[in-house]
Amino acid sequence: MRNNKWFNLGVQLAAVILALLFVTVILLLVKAPPLAAFQNIMIGSVGSWAKFSDVLISFVPLLLVTSGLLVTFAAGLWNIGIEGQITLGAIFATWMMRTLQDSTLPPALIIILTILAGMFGGAIWAALAGALKTFGGVNEIFGGLGLNFVATALNIWLIFGPWKRPGVASMSGTVPFDVKLWLPMIPDTRLSAWALGIAIVGIIVTYFLLQGTYFGLRLKAVGKNTHAAYLLGIPTWQYMMVSFALCGVFAGLAGAMQVTAVYHRLIPSISSGYGYLGLMVAMLVNYQAAWAAPVALFFAALNIGSIQLPVVLKLDSTLAGVLQGALVLFVLLADGVRQRFVKK
Amino acid sequence: MRHLTKLFSVLLLAAVLLSACGAPAATEAPAQPAATEAPAQPAATEAPAQPAEFVFGLLMVGPYNDHGWSQAHYEAGLYVEKNVPGAKMVYADKVNPADRPGTTPAQLAEDLVSKGAKLVIFNSDDMKDSATEFAKAHSDVYVIMASGDQVWKDGKAYTEMANMTNIMGKMEYGKMMAGCAAALTTQTGQIGFLGPLINDETRRLAASAYLGARYCWTNYAGKNAADLKFKVTWIGFWFNIPGVTSDPTQVADEFFNSGYDVVISGIDTTEAVTEAKKFAGEGKKVWALPYDYIGACEEGKEICLGVPFFNWGPAYVTAIKSAADGSWTSQFLWNDPDWANINNPDSSAVGFQKGAALSADAAANLDKFIGELAGGLNLWKGPLKLQDGTEYLKDGEVATDFQVWYLPKLVEGMDGASE
Amino acid sequence: MQVELRHIHKHFGAVHASNDINLTIPAGSIQGILGENGAGKSTLMKALSGFIFADSGEILLDGKPVHIASPADAINHGVGMLHQDPLDFPPMKVIDNFILGRNGGLFPDRRTAAKEFKELAVQFDFSIDPDAYVDMLTVGERQQLEILRLLWLGARALILDEPTTGISLPQKEKLFATLKKLAAQGMTIIFVSHKLEDVEFLCNRVAVLRQGQLVGEMLPPFNVDKLVEMMFGKVVSFGGRYPLTPGASTLHLEHISLEDVRLQIRDVTLDVRAGEVIGLAGMEGSGQATFLQACAGLVRPVAGKLSIKGADVTGQTHHVFKHKGVAYLPAARLEQGLVPGLSLTEHFVLAEETHGIFINRDQAIRLAQDRIKTFNIKGTPVSTVESLSGGNQQRALLALLRTPLSLILLEHPTRGLDIESTMYIWSKLKERCAQDGAAIIFISADLDEVLQYSDRVLVFFTGKVSSPLDAEKVTVEQLGQLIGGKGWEAIHA
Repeated sequence: MRNNKWFNLGVQLAAVILALLFVTVILLLVKAPPLAAFQNIMIGSVGSWAKFSDVLISFVPLLLVTSGLLVTFAAGLWNIGIEGQITLGAIFATWMMRTLQDSTLPPALIIILTILAGMFGGAIWAALAGALKTFGGVNEIFGGLGLNFVATALNIWLIFGPWKRPGVASMSGTVPFDVKLWLPMIPDTRLSAWALGIAIVGIIVTYFLLQGTYFGLRLKAVGKNTHAAYLLGIPTWQYMMVSFALCGVFAGLAGAMQVTAVYHRLIPSISSGYGYLGLMVAMLVNYQAAWAAPVALFFAALNIGSIQLPVVLKLDSTLAGVLQGALVLFVLLADGVRQRFVKK
Repeated sequence: MRHLTKLFSVLLLAAVLLSACGAPAATEAPAQPAATEAPAQPAATEAPAQPAEFVFGLLMVGPYNDHGWSQAHYEAGLYVEKNVPGAKMVYADKVNPADRPGTTPAQLAEDLVSKGAKLVIFNSDDMKDSATEFAKAHSDVYVIMASGDQVWKDGKAYTEMANMTNIMGKMEYGKMMAGCAAALTTQTGQIGFLGPLINDETRRLAASAYLGARYCWTNYAGKNAADLKFKVTWIGFWFNIPGVTSDPTQVADEFFNSGYDVVISGIDTTEAVTEAKKFAGEGKKVWALPYDYIGACEEGKEICLGVPFFNWGPAYVTAIKSAADGSWTSQFLWNDPDWANINNPDSSAVGFQKGAALSADAAANLDKFIGELAGGLNLWKGPLKLQDGTEYLKDGEVATDFQVWYLPKLVEGMDGASE
Repeated sequence: MQVELRHIHKHFGAVHASNDINLTIPAGSIQGILGENGAGKSTLMKALSGFIFADSGEILLDGKPVHIASPADAINHGVGMLHQDPLDFPPMKVIDNFILGRNGGLFPDRRTAAKEFKELAVQFDFSIDPDAYVDMLTVGERQQLEILRLLWLGARALILDEPTTGISLPQKEKLFATLKKLAAQGMTIIFVSHKLEDVEFLCNRVAVLRQGQLVGEMLPPFNVDKLVEMMFGKVVSFGGRYPLTPGASTLHLEHISLEDVRLQIRDVTLDVRAGEVIGLAGMEGSGQATFLQACAGLVRPVAGKLSIKGADVTGQTHHVFKHKGVAYLPAARLEQGLVPGLSLTEHFVLAEETHGIFINRDQAIRLAQDRIKTFNIKGTPVSTVESLSGGNQQRALLALLRTPLSLILLEHPTRGLDIESTMYIWSKLKERCAQDGAAIIFISADLDEVLQYSDRVLVFFTGKVSSPLDAEKVTVEQLGQLIGGKGWEAIHA
């Protein structure tokens, strides 16, 4: 009776409402009008096609990163190194495009090679975190954090060193690529339909990989009980490595999208915190691929919509972060409460 | 392990929440009056009713209250609102991909335009490409790109854009004064320069500090130029990023521990001051000079020799007035201080606020030095060699703006990396 | 302390796990609770010890109605429960684990606690090092630790859920002596078991549960046939030994030496033949588990040679062994053998050969339904393994075995299972021997089981390994002596 779908849904809804209440209380504490704030976030995210296309731009890398994280979470791994993997994807993509931009190859081919290079870059950086865990006994959380720092340092070094623009090396990044090397955009927006398509295909592939394949099932077994999985004949460390690499492919893809579809160059904070945001999305959807897309879209909408807060209400826009964090926290709490209920 | 990950996730979230909660609390005060004001005036729709109103937008790379670069711009915006009748500011801060994933400054600039802005200020080098992209796409909107060189006809990156103006203050003078104050104070004859990352701008500012120091060292202290040691240590970025940059705290400590008794800061944060204060507390005779923000000495008055700072207000007032009355022209402005009074908030682009630790003697000499600069003294004059010994300026040759802006290496007499 | 249960009801979904239970246990008695797996014994005991709440009903201690809100609350009322799966915190020291749960100051008085721990341990003749880490203890030792802890916390009614399954015969005798002594001091002992002989020997009253209901109580002298009938609703008896028809060499050990942190096994040579069952007897932690794991390729021998069906596999991984038809079923079913959170269907899919990339759902469900039926598992294809009872988990593990197999290695295959399940599982295992020619090596603490089902027996004592003994020529008493370290000269002579 207590374990049915509606009860679960009710608990989740209650958690969302509590999170909203929590943010409302914070707003009231800083003497800001909560309704106006929420309203502005709404208008600023879905109020117009232009705004919504901005939301989708942010949605693409977030969804890709979340897809990748669902794979590592399935294997019971905390891939905190995801930020660095995005960065390395962007670096490899930039490297490929810099190498080929003056060649006579057709632009479409250059873009495809660039994206593939990005996927490869993310994968090797993830594999490095995996190797540290498997062969070095370094917990993936700490290894990943370390590799994030290295990736940032490498990125900044490239932008201010070998890849600096003529004249003054700039925080603005490397020299922008020629327009013909940009992923084509929908007219009047900065959104690339290609990028959006790739992200959607990404989550669908992830869904089927985890739900319908032997690989996905084995990965879950490794994640839930490594010892039993080993006794069941699953090569556990190899599966962990593969899940790292797969996640890296998605992260690298996100990095490549940042380069080819959004910034059209390498910038210092190319990963834009999508990795950490993706971790929150994955936690919020309880590691279920089916819910990743709507929740990622919601998070992206919060990010874009909250820009209105300082502009219109002179409020700090970190409110979006508060709301996102509160959502995850309350949903986790609700889940804990629900499990207690079900047990008793 | 399950428990560990659960614990970790909760901690991570708590951290996110705490960091996020901290921020709105800090903005409480300004939010209050603004919030009550906001509903009264949907700027875009009411604009035509008051013909005199001119809305301008400001994009800041950091928080508007960062006690540094962005705050200097924010205060300049308030200064414009006060001094240009009808001027009204709309702004967005923390304009960078890390704080606002998925956005570009150009996109945010469009947002400000939709709120009625007819002119947009891009305040940081980070936004250079976005400013260009935006200016090209919106020829009906005026653009000020602070610190950029896109519309400098003689510059290396010139792009013709009638609606864009570049504005920068001649901080070289501020740095010369900082160098002078350091040279007049040092007892060991060793000055450290805490540099950010290496580029043309930071090289020329470090070199300016050295030129100022050398001048005052020889002309006022009457010592031999060869006895002055001036060392630049670059940390790798504008502020400390643990694991990525060198730790500025450690760099400053190393200076003080190895006989450098004055440290000039070229970075955005105030480690030089904090560390000098710490060493002074232990009885060492050391001093420091921070950067950017007029109030930066507050953190360690007893060791602060002074701070060179930017004052963007006057230049913004001029530009916005010209945009409002139609007399706008695209310019590259590299503004001098007001030599009549370099700290005049209504006229000087660059100033130098003397610190409490500067001795009366040194202060007098510094004033003399400022007087000489005002009188036409140019330290960018030959003979001057680069660090590697190649000739930069022949005897008597005066450097062009181009030569100064794009200084290729540190100058002879300085220790530290050029690339 | 007198314990009284009145009209206890508890539902789990559609299952009525406790159905109007009324039971009065006078102070100073040893109450046996008998019942097959899933009869509702654990549910009832958990309700009494605060782990779950009954839906309705009343609990009275010394005649006073009490509300027991949590296990901690239960111990405050003087009710302590020793679980079938020891509930401790492995990465801790014994003494820290011991102190846990004690009310009082922020800084536990470790010295006093350690002293009291040692005194208690001596009283029971348990030898546990207070500074050892809990994860290094055997299941038997963990149970001992838990008993000591509950006594120390002031339990006046002690519930023991299948306590004799993990421990050796001498340990069991010690335990029984102690329980009798405690009862004589006025302590109420509730002894939950499915082992008739234990109950018969120890208890001075018995209640039998079947399908959530209390079907009967009995005072000594016990009529065993009557008890069995109450438990199962029908009379069952042990099956006889299957005839021994050893075949070709399946596993061959040559001068194998093994080492783990606590003991060394030297120079074992053994030839295991197809169709043969070898039982490993010994006190917990005498080396038999290490030996079994070495046969599975989970522990690498430090010397010697190991071959399966003539192929040298020394130093290879478990997966190589598995490929050669070796299956290993660990004792900790839920911790090591099964994957909590995954359904029975998913387990069967994982265990089978794969075909292509995508899982055929319908086929998988059919496979699961088929296996569930064949192995008589109480569950559905979508049941997660942790929702199954211990016996059904063990059946599921057996159902996961592929066909054909050449060697099946089992740790405590019937621990905690009722007689019916035990017999069922052995019939399935014996089928394997007879039909596939699989050899079986198993560990059991139950010496009757060892002698009942083995063809040959290896006895372990602190790393010493006996030569294979013919199970027909060994008695339980002899075996008991051997695992206690006595009489070794005779068998080696």
